[in-house]
Amino acid sequence: MAEVFVLVEHRRGEIRDITFEMLSGCRDVAKSLDASVTAVLLGKNVDNFVEQLKSWADKILVVEDDKLENFNAEAYQKVLSHLIKERNPVLTLIGHTSFGMDLAPALAAELGIPLATDCIGFEVKDGALIAIRQMYGGKVNARFSFKKSPYMATIRSAAFKAEELGLSAEVEKVPSPLTEEVTTKRFLEYVEAVVGEVDITQAERIVAIGRGVGDYSDEKVRSMIEELANELGAVIACSRPIVDKGWLPKDRQVGTSGKTVKPKLYLALGISGAFQHVAGMSASETIVAVNKDPKAPIFTVADYGIVDDLFKVVPALTEKIREIKGGS
Amino acid sequence: METVEGESFGEKYDLFVCLQCGKCTGSCPLSMRSQLNPRKLVREALLLENEAVMDKDFLWDCTTCATCRLRCPRDLQPVEVIIGMRSILIEEAKVPSTVQEALESTFKNGNPWGRAPSKRVEWAAELSIKKASEGAEYLYYVGCTPAYDPRVQSVARSLVRLFDAAGVDFAILGNEEKCCGNEIRRMGEIGLFEMLMEDNIEMFENYGVERIVTTSPHCYNVFKNEYEGLKAEVFHYTQLLCDKLDEGKLKLTKELKKKVIYQDPCFLGKQNKVFEEPRKLLSSIPGVELLEYDREKMRSVCCEGGGGRMWAEATATGERTAEMRVKEAAALGAEVIAVACPFCLLTFEDAVKTTGYEGKIEVKDISELLIEAIEG
Amino acid sequence: MKIVVCVKHVPDTAEADVVITPDKKGIKKEGLAFGINEWDEYALEEAILTKEKYGGEVVAITIGGKDSEDTLRRCLAKGADRAVRVEDPALEGSDAYALAKALGAVIKKEMPDYDIIFTGTQAGDDGFAQVGQTLAETLGIPHAALVTKVEIQDGKAKIHRELEGGLEEVLEIQLPAVLAVQTGINEPRYVSIMGIRKAKKKELKVLNLSDVGLSPDEVGEKGSLLKLEELYVPPVEKMAEILTGAPEETAARLASILDEKGLIPK
Ligand SMILES: Cc1cc2nc3c(=O)[nH]c(=O)nc-3n(C[C@H](O)[C@H](O)[C@H](O)COP(=O)(O)OP(=O)(O)OC[C@H]3O[C@@H](n4cnc5c(N)ncnc54)[C@H](O)[C@@H]3O)c2cc1C
Ligand code: SF4
Ligand code: SF4
Repeated sequence: MAEVFVLVEHRRGEIRDITFEMLSGCRDVAKSLDASVTAVLLGKNVDNFVEQLKSWADKILVVEDDKLENFNAEAYQKVLSHLIKERNPVLTLIGHTSFGMDLAPALAAELGIPLATDCIGFEVKDGALIAIRQMYGGKVNARFSFKKSPYMATIRSAAFKAEELGLSAEVEKVPSPLTEEVTTKRFLEYVEAVVGEVDITQAERIVAIGRGVGDYSDEKVRSMIEELANELGAVIACSRPIVDKGWLPKDRQVGTSGKTVKPKLYLALGISGAFQHVAGMSASETIVAVNKDPKAPIFTVADYGIVDDLFKVVPALTEKIREIKGGS
Repeated sequence: METVEGESFGEKYDLFVCLQCGKCTGSCPLSMRSQLNPRKLVREALLLENEAVMDKDFLWDCTTCATCRLRCPRDLQPVEVIIGMRSILIEEAKVPSTVQEALESTFKNGNPWGRAPSKRVEWAAELSIKKASEGAEYLYYVGCTPAYDPRVQSVARSLVRLFDAAGVDFAILGNEEKCCGNEIRRMGEIGLFEMLMEDNIEMFENYGVERIVTTSPHCYNVFKNEYEGLKAEVFHYTQLLCDKLDEGKLKLTKELKKKVIYQDPCFLGKQNKVFEEPRKLLSSIPGVELLEYDREKMRSVCCEGGGGRMWAEATATGERTAEMRVKEAAALGAEVIAVACPFCLLTFEDAVKTTGYEGKIEVKDISELLIEAIEG
Repeated sequence: MKIVVCVKHVPDTAEADVVITPDKKGIKKEGLAFGINEWDEYALEEAILTKEKYGGEVVAITIGGKDSEDTLRRCLAKGADRAVRVEDPALEGSDAYALAKALGAVIKKEMPDYDIIFTGTQAGDDGFAQVGQTLAETLGIPHAALVTKVEIQDGKAKIHRELEGGLEEVLEIQLPAVLAVQTGINEPRYVSIMGIRKAKKKELKVLNLSDVGLSPDEVGEKGSLLKLEELYVPPVEKMAEILTGAPEETAARLASILDEKGLIPK
């Protein structure tokens, strides 16, 4: 039977969510391709991962090697290209994460396999795979077909839901094909972003600002936002451009390369809703977005939206909240 | 020092005749609150090397109000010296990030506000206005801030209604309109300014534009005084509407019982000597009592919105001039501060808030008051 | 140091409306502002900083039409020594894999003795995030994506790569290598129009496929592994309840909704 490979992504002793999202999200497509699902696990001392994965796949392929302790695209590429050549899976799925972005393109190019990156869905048409991905910052969707099989794709975080599958995978250990140390690229260490005085992940209410606030170093803009946050008892977080400008520290950034937050209230001001941002806040209980562009993708994750200039809405909102507070 | 074109500052700006009398510094609205000192800069331009400007952040404080130029007994142009120094900073890429963004956006989007060119005409969504390609007596040049700033959009919309009411035959460029470059030149980006000037002149000529009317005194100034080879005649909207008032085509009928004080925009008033038209429009509104500041017309005080200050946070500390003007207006009993410039509108509205006069004093563009007078 | 930087001229669609063309293969370009891809702007800056620090030469490369010379001129003005643009009708319909092949061919021709190749991690238009890494593979050299810091130490570079959740990993990578940079790695400098004009003297070469030794079959749809079937407007799965009215009204509605939900602290 044909196989779909799903690469297990783990870091510092934990399997990352994307793995379960892929394992559960690929069931339909695997079925249409007449394939079973194999979790491919590379690492060192991974018994505990094997246990966790058992109910999520039909099979687990395990390659253990000291050289695979930390993620290293070069080492992973060697092992995976060996496995793919040997077992010829019809489809290989890798997370469109920092890890997958580093690994998948070179692996696909080495093998001459077509790769669709950052996919959010699949269709199978006449036995052939169609990948769905977004372009132009999420304003447009695209269907891509693959020239030939086997296929490879990287999967966007949170594009699929991780739903318990209750399977019991067969475990197969494969000897590591790595004969020597990978020397072209060597892992040295992890560094944590500096932790500041505010921990946005613990906040109940967040006022998040994006490029739409314009110049956040402008005192007027800053105080307008701070006043609203004060009235709401909220902390201020932001999208990446605000951090890139140095206007807020890195630990206030929400999104895939920042923090994941689940506050009771997430008020997004002038944020377009790029998926890297949305991935970090979509689990918030109530999401409100203020954006001038009625087509901004943020409105598809928000519960409430105001299509207007935030410079008009924010002062008015601060005022109304003050009234409510004053009145009680 | 040497300008970016390679001339000596001394020769280009004729600085050798400077008396070092300090009249420029004495009249500068910023010199008391910032290290900005035009007299000293004129001297340094003569004596020092270009490197000396590198750490002068305060050069971005200058609003290019030109008071220094107008007060100089030797007809020197300290303000141009400052712009020349900014040019050096620009060529050396020593620019505040906000100025950098405004300039990059102007190059890419045709406006300094970082907004999409395809959204430029959104302010007029509900209005029907002729396109320049259809031809008209006047080209209404809207300007970047009135086109994009939600507060100032109301000025552009008011003007369209006023022009219609007064039977003015006019058209707009819509999304094709591009920044006039007045502020761009004053931020020292000479090359970008020249590019905008060439593009705009070409566009005006393609559409056979003979008369231009502007919302902003800044656009008016640059078209009138700095666009080399522009054939069209240029008007500020207060001039055009004043003519229409004289011709009896603009009828101000509704009463507006308000004490109104008028803030002369530097680029309309002292720099272009348009003092009477705005005042005449205001005093023709039935019920309006027009007040005057102590320091008005040639002696009026800059709002601190010009010369790129919309994009550069000043190093200056202390009370802003607009705040001082709001307090003066209040002391004189004014209920409305009337302005005729988008930047004045923004700086004064902000100053009303920061001085705590919200709800007591309103800031209105003349066009908005005129609308009340024709429509009630 | 021999430094290559690959750049792309892209439309800015953050605020503008995106309209799909009738053939469903592209978007309408009229009215959109174009400029250097955001990620590439940081890549370019990193290339120039590297040259300023270690000496050498920077060549900026793009694949694209005449209008993308705007972007190359900016590269030259900011400090690239020369620029190369590749244009060929056969490149139409190329996927990231074919583009990487084409870039590789240009690099081998124009700067075969490169030490380091900078690219952006992704482009704001198609968002593939794969060209740099694929390029490295076709050249047979190591790479790193999402690079946020580079320190060069003889024959090697110590780099930081951005991971999720505010974490970074530090790696040592052998040169030559492709470094696909992430935004925020540096502060791209301003370049004036005068600077751009002055840079007009610098060399900007235009090549076609045969100049770089590629046959039409190796690129375009034929040389690609992925084919764009169609673009479509994303279905709206869930849409926020949009509050309408003047700002005072929408703000009031929102405030009372927040109040009902107990989200206003008292
Ligand atoms: C690997 C990788 C990781 C990334 N990680 C993150 C991450 O962790 N977090 C993150 O946020 N981004 C991340 N990004 C960047 C992400 O792709 C987007 O570029 C970014 O989120 C966009 O931020 P934004 O929404 O603030 O800006 P934009 O997309 O520019 O949107 C600005 C919005 O403001 C609106 N607007 C403008 N003016 C106004 C106004 N006056 N009133 C109301 N609305 C207005 C506009 O309509 C627009 O929708 C990452 C990118 C990559 C490649
Ligand atoms: S006012 Fe004129 S003469 Fe006097 S110091 Fe200033 S520039 Fe010199
Ligand atoms: S132009 Fe105005 S702000 Fe600038 S130096 Fe002269 S007086 Fe001062």
